[in-house]
Amino acid sequence: YEDEDNRKKRLLLPRVSYLTLVTDKVKKHFLKVMKQEDMEEMWFEYEGTPLKWHYPIGVLFDLHASNTVLPWSITVHFKNFPDRDLLRCPSHSVIEAHFMSSIKEADALKHKSQVVNDMQKKDHKQLWMGLQNDKFDQFWAMNRKLMEYPTEEGGFRYIPFRIYQTMSDRPFIQKLFRPVSPEGNTHTLGSLLKEMYPAAIPNEVCPDDFQKRYQVVIHGIEPLLETPLQWLSEHLSHPDNFLHICIVPTPTD
Amino acid sequence: MSSCVLDKETFRHCCQLLLQLSEQLGDCWCWVPVQDSQDGYLRKTALRLVTIDSRPFGDQAESSSELGPHNSCLSGPDVQQNDQDQSALIGSANGDIIRGDIEDQDNKDNRDGDDGEDRICRMCEGSSQVLQYEYHILFSCSYRAPVLYFRVCTLEGRSLSLEEVWGSIHPNFRLCLQTSPFTMVTQQEHPLLGQAFFMLHPCRTEDFMRPLLQAAQDQNSPTGSCLITWAKLCLTRESCTYFQLCPREKSDMV
Repeated sequence: YEDEDNRKKRLLLPRVSYLTLVTDKVKKHFLKVMKQEDMEEMWFEYEGTPLKWHYPIGVLFDLHASNTVLPWSITVHFKNFPDRDLLRCPSHSVIEAHFMSSIKEADALKHKSQVVNDMQKKDHKQLWMGLQNDKFDQFWAMNRKLMEYPTEEGGFRYIPFRIYQTMSDRPFIQKLFRPVSPEGNTHTLGSLLKEMYPAAIPNEVCPDDFQKRYQVVIHGIEPLLETPLQWLSEHLSHPDNFLHICIVPTPTD
Repeated sequence: MSSCVLDKETFRHCCQLLLQLSEQLGDCWCWVPVQDSQDGYLRKTALRLVTIDSRPFGDQAESSSELGPHNSCLSGPDVQQNDQDQSALIGSANGDIIRGDIEDQDNKDNRDGDDGEDRICRMCEGSSQVLQYEYHILFSCSYRAPVLYFRVCTLEGRSLSLEEVWGSIHPNFRLCLQTSPFTMVTQQEHPLLGQAFFMLHPCRTEDFMRPLLQAAQDQNSPTGSCLITWAKLCLTRESCTYFQLCPREKSDMV
């Protein structure tokens, strides 16, 4: 149904997809109230922050608006594209290129690129089409290969992850981290954070502080810090095969 | 092949060597540390007077290009590996390959008395302007290789599109880049700054470093000297020397 207010458009967006992939309707909607010649590349902003379309939608929400009430009010722009901050997205093939680039990088970390390089071009295409057309089975028919590992190894070579937080200039933290320690201990979400972002773990920094300062959010939920990292990588990665972890300040009521 | 794979410490060490070379060559690379860590990257900025070929993407190519103006990715068709391709690729990794900066040694014989700028302007359609180039060399821990990021802006701060950057590359190099199977340039988020840059794909780095490494190994040189060679490639302003650089010419190595 149509909103009476033509300056707004409501959509239900998948967490695992990308803004520019699922907002063609938005462009069409605003074409009703704007002239095509006035419209340059569309971009999105929330509370003054340009939203990076190449981040999964769920990551953007968790990072910028996790403790707000839905619907998430995003402002759409058709002018003054912030070309220093945002990547251009002139077509869906650019999104596909980014998506495949993430998958390849993830496999470089997990399998030294062996699995993704063994796939044919049509297999790569299947991963993308599965995401684009929201076809779970089609996607996983290929993706399951990227989630396998030699039994004797106990897990992937390195875990593909990115830790996001809005509190620093650095856009994300991404480093090499193994799922199993040299001694054979299973690494958990907690052990990853201890290494990469110790401030996020309450007991390390302030043992007497009963109130958690930060929430560690994946797909909108806070997994237990004891969760094995290998399991998280296999089951809570995004379609791009990365574990996207958001660290947000705990809201003070 | 495996000796082309770096670790962070070796990269850092080689960057220090690069900086020494930079100083010797009178170039202006510097090391930018990252807050709260030992990480960092090499950076160079330069202002250049450049003529941008403003013709549409497809017309700029002398050979056929499979890309239209709306693709943000440049890559050439697959061709057989040969020395010419690799030296062209090596050239492409260096940001000095733009019209305003080229010594044009190979055109000296053809000079018809006009000065360099006139000759350049005749080569294409487009306007001359001063542009700011910024190059960063970072270490990718995913691919264990150095990665080149770059961006180009007008003095007013407008970022150039990929097509415009492409149009600022000397036609000779552009032709070689297009026929090289290795040149993959896409727009990416800078992993430390979070801003929009162009990136030369690291998965190809090993491919084009292979002949260099081979030559370095032939001289019983360790990985370090392979990287010194990389450094020399990045640092020298003699783009035409790059272009002619052949892996078999050991005198040019290390």
